Amino acid sequence: MFTPIIVVALGALASAPAGRSRKWVPWLVLGPAFALLLATSVASAQDSLANPHEGNPGAARAGRALFANRCAECHGADAKGISGPDLTELWAAGRSDGSVFQTIQRGVPDSIMPSSSAPDDELWAVVSYLKGLGTVSQVEFSTGNADQGRRVFSMNCAECHRAGRTGGRLGPDLSRITLSRSRAGLTSSIRDPSAAMRVGYRTVTLVTEGGERIRGLKKAEDAFSIQIVDTAERLQGYLKADLRDVQDEAQSLMPPFGPDQLSDGDLDNLLRFLASIREASDVP
Amino acid sequence: MRVTRLVTMTALVTLAGAAGLGAQEPGSGPTSAQLVEGFTDSSRWSTFSGDYSGRRHSPLTQITPENVGSLAPEWTFQSGTMARGRGFETTPLVWDGVLYVTGPNNYAWALDARTGRKFWEYRRELPDDLTYGRSAPVNRGFGMLGNQLFMVTLDAHLLALDRTNGNVLWDVELADYRIGYAATMAPLVVNGKVIAGISGGEYPTKGFIDAYNPETGERDWRFYTIPSPDEPGGDTWPFTGVRERGGGGTWMTGSFDPELNLIYWGTGNPNPDYYGDDRLGDNLYTASIVALNADTGVIEWHFQFTPHDVNDWDSNHVPVQADILWEGSPRKVVMVANRNGFFYVLDRVTGELLLGKPFTDTTWARELDDDGRPIVLNDGSQGCLPDYWGGTNFMPPSFDPVRGLFFVSARETCATFIPQKPEIEPGRNSSGGTVWVDRDQAYGALRAIDVRTGERRWQFRYPTPTMAGVMSTASGLVFAGDNEGNFMAFDAESGDNLWHYPTGWSIWGTAAITYMLDGKQHVLIPSGTNLTSFALPD
Repeated sequence: MFTPIIVVALGALASAPAGRSRKWVPWLVLGPAFALLLATSVASAQDSLANPHEGNPGAARAGRALFANRCAECHGADAKGISGPDLTELWAAGRSDGSVFQTIQRGVPDSIMPSSSAPDDELWAVVSYLKGLGTVSQVEFSTGNADQGRRVFSMNCAECHRAGRTGGRLGPDLSRITLSRSRAGLTSSIRDPSAAMRVGYRTVTLVTEGGERIRGLKKAEDAFSIQIVDTAERLQGYLKADLRDVQDEAQSLMPPFGPDQLSDGDLDNLLRFLASIREASDVP
Repeated sequence: MRVTRLVTMTALVTLAGAAGLGAQEPGSGPTSAQLVEGFTDSSRWSTFSGDYSGRRHSPLTQITPENVGSLAPEWTFQSGTMARGRGFETTPLVWDGVLYVTGPNNYAWALDARTGRKFWEYRRELPDDLTYGRSAPVNRGFGMLGNQLFMVTLDAHLLALDRTNGNVLWDVELADYRIGYAATMAPLVVNGKVIAGISGGEYPTKGFIDAYNPETGERDWRFYTIPSPDEPGGDTWPFTGVRERGGGGTWMTGSFDPELNLIYWGTGNPNPDYYGDDRLGDNLYTASIVALNADTGVIEWHFQFTPHDVNDWDSNHVPVQADILWEGSPRKVVMVANRNGFFYVLDRVTGELLLGKPFTDTTWARELDDDGRPIVLNDGSQGCLPDYWGGTNFMPPSFDPVRGLFFVSARETCATFIPQKPEIEPGRNSSGGTVWVDRDQAYGALRAIDVRTGERRWQFRYPTPTMAGVMSTASGLVFAGDNEGNFMAFDAESGDNLWHYPTGWSIWGTAAITYMLDGKQHVLIPSGTNLTSFALPD
């Protein structure tokens, strides 16, 4: 699918039209570290667009600087989102290099996200940077036994989490989780899930006027209402005026899995299983 | 209300006749004298804040704390113009049953205030290489005089439109947008001059306030917010080229005291925003308020809120005027709740500081010294500071003169600033660093401040730091909004929430207006791409 038709040395681009020359400065500074070839593809399908600077750390560094200048105001310096969305888990959510590139280039219609007329290389640099934020090497998960891990998952996790085509929906979908989260991060989330709860997965208990207690995950809240997914996976909205209390909880709905509940060996197997399904479950 | 209005109209006609001007022609727009009258005719909202005082406090009393609970939507206007842009940040003007509205990407409309239906639509052809205007493609409203509407553009021009059909009457350049300039504020018409400010402090630009002849578009005067080396304040900058690109934008509408003939205007951050090592000094008149002679543009006094700002704490707030008793004596004051987290009361004749107190929980500073300079306790090394959007921002506050309460949307946030020396190039953003915002520690609140003490009377808390403005009415109501899209009414005395309506999109950088039409009080709020009008049921 990928058909390089034009191959030029990057240095030649430094003599691009005068009005644009300043935009090349960050690239030239990178020097030999970035003596890459630029390829342009005639492929039209976005997912077949390949990053010509894939794997080049210089590109990710340049992308980081560009991101700070042009994107951070809305997406945050850490890319975790302010007014714009969190960009650290795009690949984990099934996006490809090409589709992220095209979103940056074209913008999102009817939204605050503008199109960009920056040179392709700058956009690919930003793609490299973002992918680096959300991509963990498979090597981290190269130990353990995936088949054993599948059994661990079915017994302990599947009630609330999805992996591939099976599992519950209360907790985050884990099909591609090993793309975006490191071994250390996942281990911490399994051993001590309350240490860091993601927005959208924080525990809340609602107390009705009649004294009934409803537990769930807080999906949204405003001054007058709250939207949750309760433990039966039902989407439920409540008016605060109808509730006696809204109790934000420090404990995750997920129980901690210490070494007594889950041995180091089984944890290893579980992570290996999750890593084994991450590519298989990529959205085409 | 009707009686009051009739009396006023009679008085006006008599006044005009006595001056030999003859009765005003039907259908004609406001005269300079009518703009001074502000809210006297309650069917009008004729300047950004409704009147020159900047209080955004209407004398209307039909909607009350007792009946506001039944306030209901009448119509919604959908602009459909959000592409590439934020939503409405505008204050519509109302004249003779017609709303004059500006929108994102330099669209504009004349709408039937009874139905929200369009009389005309205007759209400016914008260049595709906008600079600051690309990152914030918003507009905050028209100025109006006679049959003309005045609007600034994202490519830093000032236009006069024909009120009847939206045709462009004249078009002048404020500054070269390619360097980094843009314009988003609502022009203020005073003494037969169109006053306009400029945006672009994130780029190597130099701020100014301009006055233009409404008939010809010729410039009467310009005040630069950064003095030259030989002028007062010139020594607050290094003697290098820095001052020529030192920021100090003037991107929000000011207020005007016709008796003192002074314009009060806020100024923005110095540039680069976060990196200050190349601009050592106080950097006057950035992050300040300036008082200018309306006829000449000559500065009368200034007060700097944040000397040598390195946190992007622009001071582009609507300066709110009041005549209050201060320690037993009547005093003409101007008030600002600042992005740096402090609430200030200044004598508006002299610029003397009367009061400066935090209205947020900021750890940056808790007190001012004898010269009004914040005593900085935490430059960021002691943990988080208010984020770059500050303890409040440009969203208009309001002031109730009877209750002596100032109503403001406060933002409690926590950020870490990481300065970095930027490359300075025309047309290139030079914020000079990045900022980490801790979203877990952030919230917003509507706060009522007693202006004689600076103490908080009440607050209503929002889940996130809001950017919605405030409008209040003489009946004792405060109208406000939040990030979650709720448009709300509060009891001005107690802060009790009395009514809310979910508009479906954040109310952001804009505030409500109110006016009488066909014997009914209407309240209108911009939200996202919509304007929604409310009234009590029949």
